Amino acid sequence: MATLTAFQFRLEDLCHATALPADIIIEIVEQGIVDPIGDAPDNWAFNTQMITITKKAFRLHNDLEIDWPGTALAISLIDELELLRAKNLQLQRRLDRFSQENSEAITQEKQQTIRGDDDE
Amino acid sequence: MDFKDYYKILGVETTADKKAIKTAYRKLARKFHPDVSDHHEAEDKFKEVTEAYEVLKNPEKRAEFDDIRQYGRHGEQFEAPPGWRPSQGFSDRDAAQHQGNMSDFFSSIFGAEGHGSHEGYENQQGFNRRGQDIETDLPILLEETLGDSTKTIAYKLPHYDLKGLSNEINKTLNVKIPGGVREGERIRLKGQGAPGIGSGVSGDLYLRIRLIPHPLFDVEGHNLILTVPLSPWEAALGLKITMPTLSGKIQLSIPANSQTGQRLRIKGKGLNRKDGQGDLYAVLKVVMPTSTNDTIKEHWEQLKTAAAFDPREEWSKP
Repeated sequence: MATLTAFQFRLEDLCHATALPADIIIEIVEQGIVDPIGDAPDNWAFNTQMITITKKAFRLHNDLEIDWPGTALAISLIDELELLRAKNLQLQRRLDRFSQENSEAITQEKQQTIRGDDDE
Repeated sequence: MDFKDYYKILGVETTADKKAIKTAYRKLARKFHPDVSDHHEAEDKFKEVTEAYEVLKNPEKRAEFDDIRQYGRHGEQFEAPPGWRPSQGFSDRDAAQHQGNMSDFFSSIFGAEGHGSHEGYENQQGFNRRGQDIETDLPILLEETLGDSTKTIAYKLPHYDLKGLSNEINKTLNVKIPGGVREGERIRLKGQGAPGIGSGVSGDLYLRIRLIPHPLFDVEGHNLILTVPLSPWEAALGLKITMPTLSGKIQLSIPANSQTGQRLRIKGKGLNRKDGQGDLYAVLKVVMPTSTNDTIKEHWEQLKTAAAFDPREEWSKP
């Protein structure tokens, strides 16, 4: 429904929700870490996902002492990592549907081969 | 309360200089930062490492810790020695910032007086702090994402008594989950996080959507995948099967000469998303019968002769 994707937060609301001052949020937007609708801070509009990204960006910047361009890079790499982890899990699940029952048969096959070698 | 050996936590010698301590901290902080690590105890580890660095980077606190260190061993039960007076070098404002992040062990050495005391903050020129945001996973079934649903969630809120000691309050809430939510998406419930300090407002609660893996259906974007097992003769001759979808059963025609891995698209039977309705894909998987007998074997022999099919033809190419 509307609440999740709606761009319903103004800069002021985002400051309040993240407990961060406006200049830090402006920096985060200028680094392209979040991309609000609107062309100037006065008419920016953010959504819920952007609140969590902003908070995450500030934590990384602050806790790991990363400068802002480094934070932007870390955020996009972490995003990609999460995407790949999810994709990997999903592919693993697909693969299991085709191969789990076969693993035992392959082991037996191997044992037979080994036994065959011993006979020679 | 367990003794924490901050040197051990950072993996440094007791003689390590400031630079070595900083490097050790930075390495571990990167490794265990909850936003980076998928280690199951990342958050606790990160807090522990941060706490250790907080003490060892500060010469006064480090000296105090060195004094107390002779009374305890890492991971063992610890009581502050009789007559030990927590230092005054830790302001209430520091305490407030660290509230909820430092261990009881830390508070017992560096002072819990006023640490989290609500009265204290209110008297202190109106020091107010917004309550912590809480983030928790919300596991939901694929079926529940098809339309709006209501779930009862239970979570724990940190709470500080007048002495600043932390305990937890259990809270339950009924939450409306909008249809079409995705894995990893967050729902924000304003003001349902930890209570603020002084006249600070409560934090927010963030629910992170986790789709529970379905025993039959896999998710791929907004499409669903169902693996359809077929016998070799079903794959060869084709048939009509009744198959499950997330919303009831449907009939599906399997064409003759179907292959393992082949995908059949059933339009509009995937997940229901804001950006469109997904499809369901039936992925075929030919399986051999588990038991056999002489008659069946004979039929396979006949088939072998009649079909003259070499599935590994590619291998014999020069």
